[in-house]
Amino acid sequence: MAGEKEKVVAAAGGCCLRPFSCEQGLLSRPDGSAAFLQGDTSVLAGLYGPAEVKGSKELPDRAVLEVLLRPKVGLPGVIERSREQLLRQTCEAVVLGVLHPRTAITLVLQVLSDAGSLLSCCINAACMGLLDAGLPLSSLFCGVTCALDPNGAIILDPTTRQEQEARAILTFAIDSPERKVLMTTTKGSCSVEEGPCFPP
Amino acid sequence: MAAITMRLPAVRRAVGPAAPRGGEKHLVAPGDTITTDTGYMRGHGTYVEEEKLIASVAGAVERVNKLVCVRALKARYNGEVGDIVVGRITEVQQKRWKVETNSRLDSVLLLSSVNLPGGELRRRSAEDELAMRDYLQEGDLISAEVQSVFSDGAVSLHTRSLKYGKLAQGVLVQVSPSLVKRQKTHFHDLPCGASVILGNNGFIWIHPTLEHKDEEAGGFTTNLEPVPLSDREVISRLRNCIVALVNQKLMLFDTSILYCYEASLPHQIKDILKPEVEEEIVLETRQRLLDLEG
Repeated sequence: MAGEKEKVVAAAGGCCLRPFSCEQGLLSRPDGSAAFLQGDTSVLAGLYGPAEVKGSKELPDRAVLEVLLRPKVGLPGVIERSREQLLRQTCEAVVLGVLHPRTAITLVLQVLSDAGSLLSCCINAACMGLLDAGLPLSSLFCGVTCALDPNGAIILDPTTRQEQEARAILTFAIDSPERKVLMTTTKGSCSVEEGPCFPP
Repeated sequence: MAAITMRLPAVRRAVGPAAPRGGEKHLVAPGDTITTDTGYMRGHGTYVEEEKLIASVAGAVERVNKLVCVRALKARYNGEVGDIVVGRITEVQQKRWKVETNSRLDSVLLLSSVNLPGGELRRRSAEDELAMRDYLQEGDLISAEVQSVFSDGAVSLHTRSLKYGKLAQGVLVQVSPSLVKRQKTHFHDLPCGASVILGNNGFIWIHPTLEHKDEEAGGFTTNLEPVPLSDREVISRLRNCIVALVNQKLMLFDTSILYCYEASLPHQIKDILKPEVEEEIVLETRQRLLDLEG
C-alpha cells in the first residue's frame, strides 16, 4: 500500500503534498495548542505565554522565546536541540516580541509519529499553535520539506523511505504575505543551481 | 436496560451561507493588510509597516470612529475593571485567596475586599486571617467584580456587594470569554424559572431563582435546601441550550438564551445535544434575533 502510494507520487512528478490536517485548541491548559498531521507524521504543539520569566533569562525590550521539542521515544538529544534552535529562530522572526517585554513565551512540541518531513510538520504545528494562542505575529508561516532523489527530481513532503534514498533534504519556512523564505536547512549535498528553483 | 445512542465521527458541516447572519465581519489573519489609509489610529492586534495597517492576530476587525483593532477569536480572559466574573478558589494564602478565572494568571481576592458576615466594617485582625478558611475554601465557587488590574495582567477581585459572594447550588458551564456579550447587567432572572449569571470570563452559573434575598448573610451562607424536580429540569434544559449556542458560535446574552430555551421546548432535554436538533434550535433562535433587530 505504501509502495503503491509512493509510485503514484513519483509519477505525478513528486510535486504534491500528502493529505494534511490540523486541529486547534485541543489542550485545555496551554494558552494555545494545535496538532498538525502530514500524511502519517503528526506533531502536537502547546504554547504558554506571555508569562513571567526568571530574572536572569528576561530581556528588557522583548519577549524571550523558548522551544522544547520532545521526540516520540527516548530523551531529547542533539538533533532535537538543533531543531529547537531552528524553530526558535523562525518563530522569533515572526512573533512581535517587542509588545511583551520581560516575558517568556514557551513552545512545547511533542512528536506523536514520524513518517518523514518531521521538521516542516513541527514548523506548521508551531504556526498553528501561535495563531491559536492569539500572540501578535507579523505574518503566518509554513514549513515544507523537499527531497532531491539521486536523479535530480524534486519530491515534496517526502516519506521516511524517500528521505533515506534522497541525496539531499531541504526544509524551508516561508512567510505568508510575500512568500519570502524565513529559514532554510539542508541535509546532504546539492548544487547551487538546483537551490533557487525551489519554492515557486 | 437503558437504551444507548452511538454515533460514529462524521465530517462537520460548516454553517451554510444561506443561514441568516447579522452583518458580515471582516476576518483577518496575521500578515493581512487591513487598510492602506493612514488616517486611522491603530489599536490592539495591529501593527504598521510601510504605511499599511497590518493585522497581527487572527480575528475580526473592529472599527470605532478612527480606531481600528483586531479582536482575537479565542483568547484567555483579559480582565477589565467593572467586569463580573465567576471563579473557583484554588488557594488560601496569608491575606488573600487565589481564584481561577480562565485567565493567564490566577486572580486575587484580598481579605480586605470581602464583606464580613453581618456587614461589619472594621479592620481585619489576625483572627480574621485564621478564620479565612471558614469563609471560602479551596474548590468554592464565587461571583465577584473586578476591582483593578495589576501591571502583569493579574486581576484583583472584590465581593463588596450583597449580590456577589459564594455560589451554592447550580450548574457551571465553561465557555470561551469572547462569546459572552458585554451588557449592563450580567445577573438575569429568566422568566422560565431559573437565574443565570453570565461571567465575562466565560464561566456561566445557572441556579434556581432565590425566593427571598438574605440581607444579613453578606453572601457567605449557602442555601442547601433540596431543589425541586421542576427547577432541576429547567436548569438542565438551560444548560443544554447554552452548550448548543456555544457549539454554533452564537453570542450569549439573556435574550438569546431565552429564545433558545423556548425553541427547545418541543424536544426532550437530552435530545438538545444531538447535532441535528442543535442546528434546528439555533437556526430558529438566530431567526428570531434577526427579526428582533430589524
